[in-house]
Amino acid sequence: MNSLFRPRKRPDAAILDDHRPLLRSLERRGLIRGGLSLGALTMLTGCDVSRPKSVEDALLAISRMNDDVQAWLFDPNKLAPTYPASMVLKPPKFNAYYDVMDVKPVNGVDWRLELSGLIADKRPWTLPQINALPQRTEVIKHICVEGWDYIGEWTGVPLRTFLERVGADLHAKYVAFKTADDYPSSIDMPSALHPQTLLATQYAGDTLADPFGYPLRLRTSIKLGYKNPKWITAIEVTNTYLGGYWEKQGFPWFAGI
Amino acid sequence: MSLRRGVMGGHHLVAAAAFLLLATPTTSAQSPTPGGMPPPPGMSMATSAAMRFPQPVRVGDLLKRDVIQPVESQNFLGTVQQIVRNPDGTLAAIINLGGFLGFGSRPVSVPLDALVLLGQVVEVDAFTPAQLRQLPTYSPGTAAPLSPGAIIKIGLAKPSH
Amino acid sequence: MHWTNAVAMLVMITSGWGIYDDDVIIRGLIFPGYLRLGDWAAWSLNWHFAGMWLLAINGLCYLIYGVLTGRLRERLLPIRLHDVIQTVRDTLRLKIEHNDLTTYNAVQKLLYIVVILAGISQVVTGLAIWKPVQFSGLVSLLGGFQGARDIHFAGMAVIVGFLVVHVMLSLLVPRTLWAMLTGGPRVGPSGHGAPEEMR
Repeated sequence: MNSLFRPRKRPDAAILDDHRPLLRSLERRGLIRGGLSLGALTMLTGCDVSRPKSVEDALLAISRMNDDVQAWLFDPNKLAPTYPASMVLKPPKFNAYYDVMDVKPVNGVDWRLELSGLIADKRPWTLPQINALPQRTEVIKHICVEGWDYIGEWTGVPLRTFLERVGADLHAKYVAFKTADDYPSSIDMPSALHPQTLLATQYAGDTLADPFGYPLRLRTSIKLGYKNPKWITAIEVTNTYLGGYWEKQGFPWFAGI
Repeated sequence: MSLRRGVMGGHHLVAAAAFLLLATPTTSAQSPTPGGMPPPPGMSMATSAAMRFPQPVRVGDLLKRDVIQPVESQNFLGTVQQIVRNPDGTLAAIINLGGFLGFGSRPVSVPLDALVLLGQVVEVDAFTPAQLRQLPTYSPGTAAPLSPGAIIKIGLAKPSH
Repeated sequence: MHWTNAVAMLVMITSGWGIYDDDVIIRGLIFPGYLRLGDWAAWSLNWHFAGMWLLAINGLCYLIYGVLTGRLRERLLPIRLHDVIQTVRDTLRLKIEHNDLTTYNAVQKLLYIVVILAGISQVVTGLAIWKPVQFSGLVSLLGGFQGARDIHFAGMAVIVGFLVVHVMLSLLVPRTLWAMLTGGPRVGPSGHGAPEEMR
């Protein structure tokens, strides 16, 4: 039957005639010529041309649209799969935008959690005060945007509990974090309020080690690894989009899994 | 759809495809310190290892782990066969070097300070693959294997990029 | 539609290679910079998440069109084993002249079905990788997160293999290239066969 995309008028038959002798000679030698054409195409990718800003802007616009799609797909009641404690990786995998020698340990005694933004009680918190809050343990998968994953166990106060305790505006759009290693991050409020989202102080039953965010890190079950800042020093509840370290480099912001 | 528009559309699309394929291998905005770097010249392996925040790990959890090269292509080097204590008290990993699917590998003794943990694998950051291949074949009995329940400390590294 | 699909597939494959390089699946196998779309992982991801819309929408339109008009059933079925063996023999002897471009030989039918299935598989496994918690049921069926990644990689290999054969054969039979650009010869009332006389 007729395709919608077929031309109504048949192409001039003479054009096809031209191809017949070519066809016969190509049948044998065409393999090499075809190979050369393929090679030529791949050569194009090696050209060193700066990424045009218009292309970059278009890609970022699509990325922002994808963030909206992800927010729509996100089910705030769906729990991430959990695993038996025997599957927990000890020690967990380290990652940062620098290698481990450059980790700057935080003094837990002097450390305070600063609060700002749409929060009623902005008094800073000490570590013992945080540890006195109700705790929850999650054994979940950490999934990195790079493609690797591992099963880990984190314990801490659910972020929702903490936000309720300090009188945060739970209808605000974002919860943003500052850290001791200059790694700002922010997440959407629905993800912050997810039952498995923790302000974690422990890994596998022990206090968080220095490379893994001591004294406090964010642990979500529904976001990629880079949305889980370590060595948190401040939390802000806000309606202003604040982005994050990797978002400035072009990575998606919502980053939900 | 007229013939001409079909041809033009086809050409434009091919041109667009060629343009889009122009990748830009300029600077990759990676970290200031790529993962798994060897000890700086002049620094001992032990000092360098100590700077990597060594973490406790159960010997039994290390056995049979893959050992890879700290490069982006994560080249396979071998598997951990055993953790041993040398007569001089230092710790080493006996690594089955090379081979394919378990055949043709050769055990060598690698000082623990030359290794780092990267999630579920082990990386050798203090020796190149060529240097590893030059290590003598390890003969069992010259050092005492640690029990699987023993806890040792190994430094960490971030993924290599 | 065909060329939109070609662009979409090339974008997905080359940006996918950029994403793959961030944590290789096969140790020692890494795609060099000049083959990757996106100068590093962040931009490979952005290309991939943009291209996925083009691929999915165009692919869906193609499948819906093909099923509703009967074109897919007509072109790709039936496939008889005898025909496949005969066509492989002919192809190896380089007897690949196509007098009637509207009829696909058995090997063509098989390869097109394989690449369509591979394309669907890439979308399904891609969704699993993109949303391993929101689609956790799907992920378990695929053998976990790494399982989904492995199948996604294998699907890419199948499609790339198809592309190599497809491009090679279409260059060997240039009439097919012309047909791909213009929509092919007009089809007779039987649905395929000798083109009608020009009016």
